[in-house]
Amino acid sequence: MVGKNCVAIASDTRLGAQAMTVDMNFPKIFPMTDHTMIGLAGLATDVLTLRDQFKYKVKMYHLKEDRVMAPRTLAHVVSSTLYEKRFGPYFVEPIVAGLDPRTHEPFICCTDTIGCIDFAKDFVVVGNATENLYGMCEGLWEPNLEPEDLFETISQALLNAVDRNALAGWGAVVHVITPERVITRNLKARCD
Amino acid sequence: MISDIVAQYTTPEASLGFGSEALPSQRGFLSGDVAHQFNSLAFDLPRTQDPVDFLHTYTDVKSAEDNLIKLAHGTTTLAFKYASGVVVATDSRATQGSVISSQSVKKVIEINPYLLGTMAGGAADCAFWERELGRRCRLYELRNKERISVAAASKLLANMVYSYKGMGLSMGTMISGWDKTGPNLFYVDNDGLRLKGDLFSVGSGATYAYGVLDSGYNHELSKADAIELGKRSIYHATHRDAYSGGSVRVFHINESGWEFISLTDVDDLHWEYTDQARAP
Amino acid sequence: MECLLGLVGKDFVITVTDTSAIRSITVLKHNEDKTRVLSPHTLISFSGEAGDTINFSEYLQKNIQLYGIRNNIELTPAAAAHFVRRELAEALRSRNAYQANLLLSGYDKKKGPSLYWIDHLAALVQRPFAAHGYCGYYCTSMFDRYYRPNMDLEEAKDLIRKCLQELHHRFIINLPRFSVKVVDKDGIREIEL
Repeated sequence: MVGKNCVAIASDTRLGAQAMTVDMNFPKIFPMTDHTMIGLAGLATDVLTLRDQFKYKVKMYHLKEDRVMAPRTLAHVVSSTLYEKRFGPYFVEPIVAGLDPRTHEPFICCTDTIGCIDFAKDFVVVGNATENLYGMCEGLWEPNLEPEDLFETISQALLNAVDRNALAGWGAVVHVITPERVITRNLKARCD
Repeated sequence: MISDIVAQYTTPEASLGFGSEALPSQRGFLSGDVAHQFNSLAFDLPRTQDPVDFLHTYTDVKSAEDNLIKLAHGTTTLAFKYASGVVVATDSRATQGSVISSQSVKKVIEINPYLLGTMAGGAADCAFWERELGRRCRLYELRNKERISVAAASKLLANMVYSYKGMGLSMGTMISGWDKTGPNLFYVDNDGLRLKGDLFSVGSGATYAYGVLDSGYNHELSKADAIELGKRSIYHATHRDAYSGGSVRVFHINESGWEFISLTDVDDLHWEYTDQARAP
Repeated sequence: MECLLGLVGKDFVITVTDTSAIRSITVLKHNEDKTRVLSPHTLISFSGEAGDTINFSEYLQKNIQLYGIRNNIELTPAAAAHFVRRELAEALRSRNAYQANLLLSGYDKKKGPSLYWIDHLAALVQRPFAAHGYCGYYCTSMFDRYYRPNMDLEEAKDLIRKCLQELHHRFIINLPRFSVKVVDKDGIREIEL
């Protein structure tokens, strides 16, 4: 979700095997640079694999180029990494959210499982409860939200969406990325 | 007087042979009682070569995700007998695929002041057939001037659904109550299976509930402990099973009939129990 | 149909595996050990496709031992878990994936005991308690109910006993014997319940 000079990214924390909830503290959002995070929704094993791959690529980029990867660049790295496996895809839908390292311009995007990028100026949603999330976000989001308001908006959108989805929830985590710092908060959610 | 009225709504017992229920298409499903007045309630079947097969294609309840006709599903219900009665506890979630269609379903059906039924499987099937059971139990009472036993009531239900076996009914229920013989508990499902027992749990979260229930169960439990055990078992099932949740509804049955005990949001229970566990 | 359980206590990890080797409708063996020692303080227990499980876990065992010999340093449980995950994840996207569910239990001299849950798709999570197979449907709720952090060995054994009793009571498959192993600062040992 985009705010005024800030972006927010949030996820639930459930890891489940079909109907059975295995873990209630499974992170799906990973910091890539100081101002960029990546959220990975989908098959847990690919979430972990891609987390490691993207971390590796971002760090190598940093070493080779001696500059921090911009979120827009990361989006294209994500896209090409996923398309590499066009005929045996990773079952993951990523979201990239961040601020441009130089201009601090907010950036968000998501891709499908084979890397088709969907840029957006307001919000993007992926994963299990997308229908619910679209409804919530369309209803709550407005332009130029301050970090705290953006936090409230994204939290309400997420919590209320997962409360209507049987396979998501059990906890939530929200990151608001501002030029100065990243605000990270864990939310209590319904645990059923 | 009352018997005249009853007779008016009743076909003579003699005309009802064995298995009269078994041919719904010929007689209308209520043929035993007031069917002639309520013929419109007889179920229409799809006009295809093989109606059962046709229904299976669209309403196979085991894979709600793929079906065109989605049925409400996923549940945890339990009931157990102990020294001073029966505890009945259920969750309150209804799902269609992964969407939670309701968090406030009432899965306990009050058949009459001495009989309770629980709902698991197709919500519509359970609600309808247990309502129909209630009607038949009332008629029994009027005819015989005494309350129907739990055994007989559950047998009525089992026979009713057995006559529709293979046609896609989905129902897993526990009929519990208090009669002349004391507390009674029966499990009845859409296969026509009917079991007498002390402790049952039904639904997608049943295994989780069984774990907690079995390990804490004891016939000599106090009423408060028994109620707490029922509540707690449902809570643990809702916690692990994605398709159970909402609130825990608890009923208790003793010689004076059933009594509603509590309706507790699982969210409140969760934090209460986590705090308890953290306390030294 | 197999059963794996694991539980982290105060300064140990306790794991339970059934000991039945089942093929079709026959029990081939009643005392099969479904665990392998990866290093002196790391134990892996497995269930899944016959053949895959033992092949994979012995492959892990040998490689981790080789690492120990080459570098003269024991792989920590966390490092071992991530190694296992990587191997499994790479195999998953090859023509011959391993169909193995794993529990990795270990004791790290600095970080204490830890338990990792790894499924056949190579999802990895660290857990205070974990289960694989159908027994999870009965036992996880019991762990939720009775587990506390910092349990001592006797309390842990009590809880395991409760779980096994429930399995005997409710689970249709008769698993007559279980092997219970403890990993702690002194290494790995089998115990009687």
